[in-house]
Amino acid sequence: MTAFRRLIGFNLLTAVVLGIGGWYLGWFIGHQITGKSLDFFGEIDQNDISIFLGYFMGVIAFLLGLGFGVYPWARMRGYPPSLREKETAGIGRYFTLCTDHKVVGIQYLWGIGLFFFVGGLNAMFIRAELLSPTNHIFPPGQYLTLVGMHGTMMMGMMTSGILGPFANYVVPLMIGARRMAFPRIEALTFWLLMAAGTILVTTILFGGFPTGWTGYEPLNDQANGGMDAYIAFFALVGISMTLLGLNLMATIITMRAPGLTWSRLPIFCWGVVSTAILMVLAAPVLVAVLSMAMLDRTGQTSFFIASAGGSPYLYENLFWIFGHPEVYILALPGFGIVLELLPVFSRKPLWGYRLAVAGLMGVTLLSWLVWQHHLFVSGINSDLRPFYMLSTELISIPTGFTFLCGLMTIWRGQLRFTVPMLFCLAWFFNFLIGGLSGVFLSDTPSDVTTHGSFFSMAHFHYTIMGGLVFTFFAAIYYWVPKMFGVELNELLGKIHFWLMFIAFNSTFGPLFAVGFLGQPRRVVSYPSHLQFLNDWVSVSAFVLGFSMLIFLANLVYCLVFARVPAPANPWASLSLEFQLPSPVPVHNFERVPVFTGDPYGYGEAAPPVGVPAPSPAGGMS
Amino acid sequence: MTTAPRDGVIANDGHGRRFVIAFIVLSVIATPLVAIFVGPLFPPGNGSAQAHEQVFDNTWLVAIMTPPAVFVVVFLLYALVSFRSRSAAVVDGPPIRGDARIQAVWMAATGIIVLFLAGFGSYELVQSGSGGGQGPNPAFTPAGASKAMDVQVIAQQWEFTYRYPSYGGVEVPHLVLPANTLIRLHVTSLDAIHSFWAYQLGVKADANPGVDNVAYVQTKGPMTFDIHCAELCGLWHGYMFDTGQVVDASRFASWIKQQRTYFGPVVKYLPKYSTIYLPDPQRRAG
Amino acid sequence: MSDIAATDYSIVEEEPPELLARNLRTASHLLASATAFFFLAFVFGYFYLRSLNNAGLWHPKSVSASQAYGAVVMALTVASAFLVRLGLFDHRRGRRPQWRVKGGAALAAGLAAIVLQIVEWTQIGFGPADGGYASIFYGWTAFQVLFAVGALFWLENILATSLRYGKIASGAPAPGEASGDPHRTAHDIRDPLSLVRAGLEAVSFYWAFLAGLAVLAWIILYLI
Repeated sequence: MTAFRRLIGFNLLTAVVLGIGGWYLGWFIGHQITGKSLDFFGEIDQNDISIFLGYFMGVIAFLLGLGFGVYPWARMRGYPPSLREKETAGIGRYFTLCTDHKVVGIQYLWGIGLFFFVGGLNAMFIRAELLSPTNHIFPPGQYLTLVGMHGTMMMGMMTSGILGPFANYVVPLMIGARRMAFPRIEALTFWLLMAAGTILVTTILFGGFPTGWTGYEPLNDQANGGMDAYIAFFALVGISMTLLGLNLMATIITMRAPGLTWSRLPIFCWGVVSTAILMVLAAPVLVAVLSMAMLDRTGQTSFFIASAGGSPYLYENLFWIFGHPEVYILALPGFGIVLELLPVFSRKPLWGYRLAVAGLMGVTLLSWLVWQHHLFVSGINSDLRPFYMLSTELISIPTGFTFLCGLMTIWRGQLRFTVPMLFCLAWFFNFLIGGLSGVFLSDTPSDVTTHGSFFSMAHFHYTIMGGLVFTFFAAIYYWVPKMFGVELNELLGKIHFWLMFIAFNSTFGPLFAVGFLGQPRRVVSYPSHLQFLNDWVSVSAFVLGFSMLIFLANLVYCLVFARVPAPANPWASLSLEFQLPSPVPVHNFERVPVFTGDPYGYGEAAPPVGVPAPSPAGGMS
Repeated sequence: MTTAPRDGVIANDGHGRRFVIAFIVLSVIATPLVAIFVGPLFPPGNGSAQAHEQVFDNTWLVAIMTPPAVFVVVFLLYALVSFRSRSAAVVDGPPIRGDARIQAVWMAATGIIVLFLAGFGSYELVQSGSGGGQGPNPAFTPAGASKAMDVQVIAQQWEFTYRYPSYGGVEVPHLVLPANTLIRLHVTSLDAIHSFWAYQLGVKADANPGVDNVAYVQTKGPMTFDIHCAELCGLWHGYMFDTGQVVDASRFASWIKQQRTYFGPVVKYLPKYSTIYLPDPQRRAG
Repeated sequence: MSDIAATDYSIVEEEPPELLARNLRTASHLLASATAFFFLAFVFGYFYLRSLNNAGLWHPKSVSASQAYGAVVMALTVASAFLVRLGLFDHRRGRRPQWRVKGGAALAAGLAAIVLQIVEWTQIGFGPADGGYASIFYGWTAFQVLFAVGALFWLENILATSLRYGKIASGAPAPGEASGDPHRTAHDIRDPLSLVRAGLEAVSFYWAFLAGLAVLAWIILYLI
């Protein structure tokens, strides 16, 4: 196809143009329904039906512009389910609907990376505001929107932060499959997430939203038009998450190569399975509760309005029934990454494989039983508090299994402190602090003071950022040579790591004290005697942000300019994806391998895990 | 390649033994130090019986968590120093895949710690609810609750006001409480969800519209305390704070009398005292 | 990101033929789990708001759902799912024309249920703003309709494929005959029967599950 022909076909450009058109169409229809005056510019009257319809039709048009309508249209007319989209070569396919799981993985990496930086920038603004005990840069409304956007963007995007880029890329390679179970759905999850992120950013056009990432009612219902962006964003993220989990589960269940029994499955895949279970079950609850919020805002229902027969507690309960499994969706992939990488860099098998799996599954199961620890002082029925205290404390047992297996894997190893290994080791330190601080929060008497304070904030940043984001970077440094065929600079990587680790602890460590000293969350002003601590935290946060720039410089320089070719197996890993050339060919395997063991045979006189099926022409090297 | 050492707690080459000894020694030293010196630093201080309960609880928590923390930190330091690969080429370690005894010990130890923590926390909680809001039918009430003094906290965007039902339902803008008294706080909201957090009293109770959230506090001596809103409630959430006072009984009596005189004429225009208020209309989207 | 040639389908598509059926069966079960949890939120909401009865506005006297409409909508949905299942049994026994008739009837019944539900909303005498029960009612039934549309669309796809292959008795069509693409010679297209069967098994399961949820909705919203 000529370049011009590709430009006007199904691709991102077409999608964006159609998406904007779709938005205006929905906006127009909404105004027809409500009969309000149509005024595209300088819109004063808030019209939530128009906004929601605009987002809805914009997303549909966006997806149609990418070509997601081609397959349903063909199926409607009776054509059979087909694996094939019109595939192109070259860099253009990263901006289209591509059914190659490796392309989708790389798309996710860039897409989530972009929104991660947007969320991180918001955090820098927040900390700049908190340099002073009273508001001095942003008016309170804008500050709250920054807080909300930071949290919402991070939670929505980083939920798929490891599964999106890495599970999509690596899982089929680890299980000996050539594709995922549902390649088109895989592409859909990515583009839905991108549409969602764009929608969240448009909140600033409608005045932002005041509720923070939790979107509590009835403040949610009171808020002006920018709130709709939050609801639409999170609902789309919920749909994307459900489909992502479904696809990964189906792939691991049905498409394992011969010989790959569940007890030989790499622990990273077990991490993916446990996360996918939670995604498939918890994300629909999010979509449901946000739909209720949308109905309250548009259809004047009263799900959450106490004076009209509803209850804010319904929102709190439903939100946290989703919300607690959600934070384990964030944490579990990190467990999987750490346990997967430690054997490679300790040169020892994973210690306690079955215990590690039990730990992952135990967390998955227990995460459903703890949600009311977010509601200890909310005024709901207090009879159940001892139960929820117990269930929350119990979750530290399976989490502890992960610690034990990781620590014992290191023990007596031949440790090599590569950049991925450093990030994994930092995970232990960070998650230890995060986990122990969780013990305080799970204990109701202690929680009375720490709930809603910066202590809680420090806790979840230690577990989510110290846990997930550190392993996100471990995964990047580990798999980028495979994904792009290019090496990342080790010195810059180490500088990034140390700066990030020190700055991270310097940022969030003092926040435990800030919370203990009485500063609530999401406030733009605080008692002046806390200014020193806040300033220390803010400066550390700026250094943390700077460390991200170092990473970015490393990434761009190495991928675009230096382009040092990476060996196929830079880490001498026994894992199957590293037995393939870099970058991996489209169809992954010349011949589907037969598995004879797990990929942790370090120090054992065992054959490599994926032996190609005997073939006359010779197999894969 | 040497045969894999069985990595029991006591091992051939002393690594295991050295680590265990270091762990035990450091834990035995650190735990009482933490309990004695760090414990009293915990919030929220000694301003009320509930605050004291929380400090006691926190002290136990941090003391119990010291050994696990020491374990992981010492383990990491020991392992990262001792087992760093000394060869430039990539060399494999021993193929140890697990040890049932270590797993069993770990499971038992973590199980015991966790169950103890849960039990201990529950014990502290049932004393009086530890200052947390328990809803309209509190499950954990302190002794003498029937004689507690009721004070209502009304949260709205963006200030707290306080009503004293046993003093004619007068509504005042600042909170003053009598010393050495068991107080039953009724926290409610007129619009969004707020949270009444009286820091030095160790009280936190969410203010929900249409809900009477009860929290008990046993005041001690005269003091001032900070009140912050601890639940994001909109634009001026960050400025929704106040200062409250605990004063001795005679000062309280004269204060409340003065408030009744001053705000008396207004009371008849207020809605009758009730545990919940549902002002209508609420601001809604559309 | 080097230039990678387009997929070489002579290598890629040597997949075991039952893979499609396995994938679709797994997907339909996972989708059913996700759907269950979605509607669980509404079930939770119903009982929770009912127990709180804030401002006495859970179920004001003036709000009364029509039993007739509710029962008919539920019955049509169940009938549709039942017909799909009967059609599946027909297809398993090779009676493809009978399956197509039942499939079409199921589609019609399902569409009728949706239309009637929409009609009910206009006739019912209370709106979404009339209290807690009304909110749950409208929200829940609206999403029942949405999910039903999705399931019926899936059914229509299977039916359309079945009609397109109606003339092919069994065995291999000429390359490209089934798909319109002369280069496609994959297992799944070589054997059109397995294609329809795989999809039909999956949609039958999922639509039956949704019908079960519709019965639950009927019990909770209308009966109790």
